[in-house]
Amino acid sequence: MKDVAVIGAGMTLFRRRLKETGKELSFLAAKMALEEAGIQKSDLDMVVMGSAPDAFDGIHMKGENLIDGAAAAGKPYVRVFNGGGTGVFAPIAGWWHVASGVADIVMVVCEEKMGSCYPHPQTAFRHIWDPIIDRPLNPNLIWLFAMEMNRYMTVYNIKKEDIARVAVKNKRNAVGHPCAQLADPNITIDDVLNSEVMAWPVQRLDVSPPSDGASALIYCSKDKVHQFTDDPIWVDGVGWGIDSTMWTNRDLCFPRYVATAAKMAYKMAGITNPPKDIDFAEPYDPFDYKELHHMEGLLLCKKGEAPILTREGVTQRDGDLPICPSGGLLGVGNPIAATMGQKVCEVYWQLAGKAGKRQIPGDPRVGVGQAWGDIMQMATVIVLRR
Amino acid sequence: MTEKKEQKESYPKYAPGTHVHDKDIYERKITYTWWEPEVQYSWSLGPAMSRFLQELKAGKIIGIKCNRCRRVIVPPRMFCEYCYGPTSDWVYLKDTGTVETFSLSYLDADARRIEEPILIGVISIDGASPKHGFMHYFGEMKPEELKIGMKVKAVWKPENEREGSITDIKYFKPFRGGEE
Amino acid sequence: MLEKQTDPTSPMHWRGDMQADYMYTNGVAGDRFFRHLMEKDTFLATKCKKCGKVLFPARLYCEDCFQEISESDWLEVPATGTVRVFTVATINAHGKKMEEPKIIALIDIDKTDGALLGIIKTKDLKRDFCGVKVKAVFKPKEKREGTLKDILYFEEKI
Repeated sequence: MKDVAVIGAGMTLFRRRLKETGKELSFLAAKMALEEAGIQKSDLDMVVMGSAPDAFDGIHMKGENLIDGAAAAGKPYVRVFNGGGTGVFAPIAGWWHVASGVADIVMVVCEEKMGSCYPHPQTAFRHIWDPIIDRPLNPNLIWLFAMEMNRYMTVYNIKKEDIARVAVKNKRNAVGHPCAQLADPNITIDDVLNSEVMAWPVQRLDVSPPSDGASALIYCSKDKVHQFTDDPIWVDGVGWGIDSTMWTNRDLCFPRYVATAAKMAYKMAGITNPPKDIDFAEPYDPFDYKELHHMEGLLLCKKGEAPILTREGVTQRDGDLPICPSGGLLGVGNPIAATMGQKVCEVYWQLAGKAGKRQIPGDPRVGVGQAWGDIMQMATVIVLRR
Repeated sequence: MTEKKEQKESYPKYAPGTHVHDKDIYERKITYTWWEPEVQYSWSLGPAMSRFLQELKAGKIIGIKCNRCRRVIVPPRMFCEYCYGPTSDWVYLKDTGTVETFSLSYLDADARRIEEPILIGVISIDGASPKHGFMHYFGEMKPEELKIGMKVKAVWKPENEREGSITDIKYFKPFRGGEE
Repeated sequence: MLEKQTDPTSPMHWRGDMQADYMYTNGVAGDRFFRHLMEKDTFLATKCKKCGKVLFPARLYCEDCFQEISESDWLEVPATGTVRVFTVATINAHGKKMEEPKIIALIDIDKTDGALLGIIKTKDLKRDFCGVKVKAVFKPKEKREGTLKDILYFEEKI
C-alpha cells in the first residue's frame, strides 16, 4: 500500500437552506480545497463523491447529477454512500484510490442538500424504515435515537444534564468556525434541559440541525507530496463496520460496530492504547448522547465513562482529550455527508496547525474522525497523523 | 503551539454560500422549482414475513430458530444473518414481553408537533432470545408509568379487523403476573 | 422449507408509497437565468474565460475548466435554436398512451454551445425536424413563475 497525504480541504457555509444547487455547493467546496492545495482540476487523477440518500436532494442517482460541480466531468469518478457514515466513508474510498497506486492525486467531495425535501427532511427519513415491520407504525426517525438514548442512559445510569454538557461544549466550540449554523457562546446546560421535548429524552437542543452544505478534501501519494508540502498530514488508518439491520434484536446501549471499525483503523495505524495514543477526536455527534456513545465505541474510554470525562472537562478543547474541537454537528450543522468538513477536514486542519481560533493547544499529532449511519448500525473511522 | 503555527492562516479561510430563509421562499424572493414525485411500491414479503403477518392475523406471535447459534429470532427471517445459515423451526412465542427501551414522542412522522405524546418502544418478546423483539406502541398507561424493564402484554384488534399487519396488535399494555 | 411456508392465502405483498415533495432552489446561476426569463423573451448564457465556450443554460462555473464565472461573463442570447435531434413521444412518464403524440426535441440554442430539451408544437407529426430552426414561445409575462415551464413550447421560426 502507498502512503497517502492530505494536501487541501474546503467547505461551504452550513445552513438550513442555501440558494446554491447541489452542484454549485460542490463547486464552492472543491474550489476552496483546490486553492489550498494550489492545484487545478487538470491535476486531479480521479474524484470520489460522497452524498447520502437521494431522497434528501430529491434527485435520483444524485452522484451523477453532482459530477460537474465535483470537478469530475471527464474523469474516473465514483459516488459512495452509507447514510450518515458517508462523511468518513467517502474519504476512506478516496484513500484507497491512492493507497492502491491507481491514482496519485484524488479529490473527495461530499454534498447534501436537505432543504429540498418538503415539508421536512424527516419526510425523507421515514423511507429508511422497514416498510413492513416498522413503517405501518408511522415512525419518526427521532424515535430511533430517543430509544437508543434512553437505553444508554438507563443501562449506565447517566443523567440528562451530563449529556447536555456535550451540546453546550460543541455549540460553544463552533463559535470559532466561519461555516457554523448553531454556534452559541452563551448557551448553558439549563438552555438544553429547558428546550422543547421532541421525543423524550431527546429535546430540541440535543439535536443537530438539518443543513445544506458541501465539503472537499484532496489526497496526494507519497511519491508526489514533496511538491506540495514539507510537513504532510498522513492517513494512518481506516476502518469501517456494520451490524445487522434488525436493530430491535440488538442491545442499543453500546455501538459494537463502531468498535469493529475502530479496531480495524487502529490496527492499521499501530494504535494499541487509544486514550493514550490519540490526541483528539471528532466522533459523530448528530445528537449530544451520540458523541458519548461513540467515544465509548471508539474505545477512548470505558463503557459509561464518557459522560464522566465530559463532566470533568477532559473533552474540552484545552482538556487532555479534546472531542469535537470543530463544534461538531451540534454546532456547525449536519448536512449528512458534508460533515466530512468537521470529521475529516477539521482533523487535517488541526494537525496542520491551521485551525485558527479552534486550534487545540499543544502539539496534536494523532487525530481520529468517525461517522455513523444507517439504522444505528454503520460506523466509519479514519486516523490522521502528522 | 509553536510560533510558526500561530502565524498560519485560519482554515476554512472563508464560508461560501448564500443563506435562504423560509420567508424568501414564501415571498418568492428567489425562484425555485417544485416537484411532487408520484411513485408507489408493492414489496414482496417473502416466506418468513408472510407467515409472521399471517400469524398476527390469527392473534399469535411467531418466531423462528437458528439451529446453529440456537437463537430464537423475532421478527422471523429465512436465514440467520450472523451464522448465515437457513433458519429452520417455527416457534410460537407469547404475546407478552419486556420494555427494552422507549420514547415519548411529541412529533408525528413529518416532524409536526403533537399535544399528547405517542408512547413507542422496543419490546423483547417472551419465548424469543434475550433482546429479540420489535418496535410497537404502548397504551392503557400514563406516560410516567412507562419504564425500561417493565412487563407488557399485547392488546389485539378484534379478529374481524385484523389484516395481517404489525398494526393487528393495537399496542402493549402493562402486564402483571397471572393475568390472561 | 419454501414449500412448507408457501400458502396461497398468505399476504405476500405489502403496498406503500413514498411521500415527499421537493422544493429545488434554482441555484445562484439558475435564479438569475429564470429571473431574466420572467422579464424578457430571451435567454442568459455565460462565457468561460478560459476555454471560450458559451455555457447554456447559464452556470456558476465551467465544468470542463472549473473556472468560476464572473459578472462580465454573462450574456443575453436569443430564445431561438436549431433542432439537433428529436423523438415522437406517444406514451407519458407513467407509461400510458397519450391522446396526442408530442415532438420532444433537443435544441441547440443560437450563439451558445449549449442545448435545451423542448416540446415542438406542430400539426405535422410525420416531419423530419432535424436541422429545423425554432423559437421559444413563452407564457404571458404576468403568469411566469421562474421555472422551465415559463417556456410553453418551441415552434418553427419562419
